[in-house]
Amino acid sequence: MKLTKQITILLIILFSSIAGAQVQFKTKVSKKTLGLNERLRVDFSMNKDGDNFNPPDFDGFSVVGGPNQSVSNSWINGKRSFEKTYSYFLSPKRMGSLMLESASIEINGETYKTDAIVIKVTKEIEKPKDPNNIIASDNIHLVAEVSKTNPYLNEAITIVYKLYVAQGTGVSNWRETDDPEYDDFWSQSINPRGLKIEKGKYKGEDYQYVVLRRTVLYPQKSGKLIIEPLKLDIVADIPTRRRDIFGQRLMSKVNVPVSAGRRTINVKALPEEGKPLDFSGAVGDFKFNLSTSKSKLNANESMQAKVSVSGKGNLKLLTLPKLTLPNSLEVYEPEHSENVRTNLSGMQGEVSDSYTIVPQYKGKYPIPTISFSYFDLRTETYKRISSNETIINVLEGPVYGASDNSLTAEGSGTQNVVLDNDQFAFIKTKPNFISKKKSSFFKSKAFWASLLTPLLAIPLAIVFRKKREQRAGDIEGNRLRKADRLAKKYLSEAKKSLGQKDAFYVALEKALHNYLKAKLNIETSDLSKDKIKKLLLERNVENTVVVDFKSILKNCELARYTPITTVTMQQDYEKSASTISLIDKQIR
Amino acid sequence: MKNALYIILIFFGSISAQNEKIFDQANTLYNEGKFSDALSRYDVILNSGEHSAELYYNIANAHYKLNNIALSIYYYEKALALKPKDKDIQNNLAFANNMRIDAIDNLPEVGLSKFIKKVTNIQSFNGWAKLAVILVIVFVVLYLVYYFSFGTQKKRIFFVSSILSIVLAFIVLTITFYSYSLDKKNNPAIVFAQETQVKSEPNLRSDEAFVLHEGTKVQVLDSVNNWNEIMLSNGKTGWISKSDIKLLNTF
Repeated sequence: MKLTKQITILLIILFSSIAGAQVQFKTKVSKKTLGLNERLRVDFSMNKDGDNFNPPDFDGFSVVGGPNQSVSNSWINGKRSFEKTYSYFLSPKRMGSLMLESASIEINGETYKTDAIVIKVTKEIEKPKDPNNIIASDNIHLVAEVSKTNPYLNEAITIVYKLYVAQGTGVSNWRETDDPEYDDFWSQSINPRGLKIEKGKYKGEDYQYVVLRRTVLYPQKSGKLIIEPLKLDIVADIPTRRRDIFGQRLMSKVNVPVSAGRRTINVKALPEEGKPLDFSGAVGDFKFNLSTSKSKLNANESMQAKVSVSGKGNLKLLTLPKLTLPNSLEVYEPEHSENVRTNLSGMQGEVSDSYTIVPQYKGKYPIPTISFSYFDLRTETYKRISSNETIINVLEGPVYGASDNSLTAEGSGTQNVVLDNDQFAFIKTKPNFISKKKSSFFKSKAFWASLLTPLLAIPLAIVFRKKREQRAGDIEGNRLRKADRLAKKYLSEAKKSLGQKDAFYVALEKALHNYLKAKLNIETSDLSKDKIKKLLLERNVENTVVVDFKSILKNCELARYTPITTVTMQQDYEKSASTISLIDKQIR
Repeated sequence: MKNALYIILIFFGSISAQNEKIFDQANTLYNEGKFSDALSRYDVILNSGEHSAELYYNIANAHYKLNNIALSIYYYEKALALKPKDKDIQNNLAFANNMRIDAIDNLPEVGLSKFIKKVTNIQSFNGWAKLAVILVIVFVVLYLVYYFSFGTQKKRIFFVSSILSIVLAFIVLTITFYSYSLDKKNNPAIVFAQETQVKSEPNLRSDEAFVLHEGTKVQVLDSVNNWNEIMLSNGKTGWISKSDIKLLNTF
């Protein structure tokens, strides 16, 4: 019982001493002043286990190692000591006073913080102080091999990083500290699978080397382009002077930074001379092809047209020429496909655009030739490949009706064609040739003449009518004209022989008889003076006129036996003329 | 003088007869599918100074069969200029237009201007001129009948109808002049270059206004050195190199 009591007391004392033990959480740095090229070790150590360790964000440093955790537990003389350490390896980024902020941790529910420490970073100090490092950097080399330092724009180059290690030294581990970023390049790295140690020569000496990485680069800019070096931190095994019991040299591990050195690539621009207009930046050796899945189909069926470029070169970087198709074809956005492998010599394979085409109407549709230009690196000239013109023949389907291109042309109102048959019409067999010389009726002399001449008819008609009315109005003149006309009709013979006595009176008598015969419808045989008088009086001819007529007839008879002057003849002629006209007027 | 005229007539007569023979030969070649041979025969006729809508139509058909887009459209348009109402030509032109790449909308015309254009385009200005002459003759005849006829009713009818016909004659004459001016302005051309840039100014430095493709019909508005100002049916204008187009009005 007493023993148990004692044990209990002991335990209480023990636990209380543990509970009462001071929690410590501290930052320890390996040095407070260091050169820019030196490393700094920072330990955050605590004497009790805690959670949620929160390191500071090492502003001004880059973390090259860590965090490494170490825990040590020890009992010395029954006293337990515990230590847990987080350690970091830092390298300063710049000179000056850098502040290491405080870290925090939770121990038993309480948060502990370390003090901030100021680190002074000075200029780079002479290095290496460690002779092992000299040996290491003499024996270990990182080399960047560039396949071509003056490529053309978009010409593939490769950069291979090799790590040369001299015989007798070894590399147990490495870490990349600086990874080159290939600005202004299109890059793809082809990392070798596993490391293969090969033998090679470096500056005439035998070395072993491994290829760390290979990268294919396509320069995207002309001019001097800089490839930042690849930097490695190598843990090298360096032989020491000490030997083990078997006589072999003991190796010691040394941290060595190695760098491949900065490389400058002088990128040549592509020549301007002979640069095709449709050049879109393709460099290499290509084949260009335009193929269609069908050449004959019906409307509303689909077909594919494939524009493809195959060969070697910057396939992923080039733009394929666009296909231009007749407006009456329905074309969908092309489907782009790439089948490109990248190896050390560059990209190889095929890129293609596949267009889906659905014709809507019957007819023939040409796919115009499209061309693809590229720069051939072997001949250093531009080359152009043109596709053949392909015809899509749509056999069945509705006919595209509207001609949509009518302008303000003559006959534009009739250009909206409504087709009554859906066939391509055959040629015409009747030529109906006409001369090419255009004869325009409008504005020709014939046009003006035929337009204006008819109008002249109107004034002419007016004048004509006016004249007629005038004549109708003039009674005396009318009578005279009538007498004239009658005289002309019957007395013309007599007038001709005016002056020759016998002939005149014979003609005059004959003329008078003829007149009466015509007027009274009588025969010559029963034409006596009395009968004439009777007939004329019957027809309402005035007595005086009849007497005049008779006297003329009498004169005609008398004249044969008596001398008669020309004046008398004239008088007789006029008298007979007036008498005839009077009879003509009065006769019913 | 008279004899010379007869000789010329006989000469032309013989050319015409010869051309018809060549035309028949060419048609036979076409029917056999020898389109290029047929075209060379048709060309002989064209060079002899004679043409016809049918000849242009057949040439266009042969070019269509040979897939010459611009040439076939060019000759169809020529045929259509001579015979604007021919159904076969319109039909095959629609087929040829299918091969074109450019799709150009028409500028819509509205109201009165559309109506006037429609009326004007019923026939050519020569047709209108003939109609005007006929109307003037009708007017004169009616007027004379009115002038010489008796009776108020008759006079009234003839007077009114004669005035109506002279008014119509003036309207037709106006249309004739308008149609003539349209015809003078109308200077269509076909784009022959497979693809050509139309510039905003008549020089190579200027900006590209738009791109035209083979077979598109344009209106030529103006020309400066080696450039033609053109207008599309949708109202867009620009300058195009003279070598890229071919005018339709040159025979």
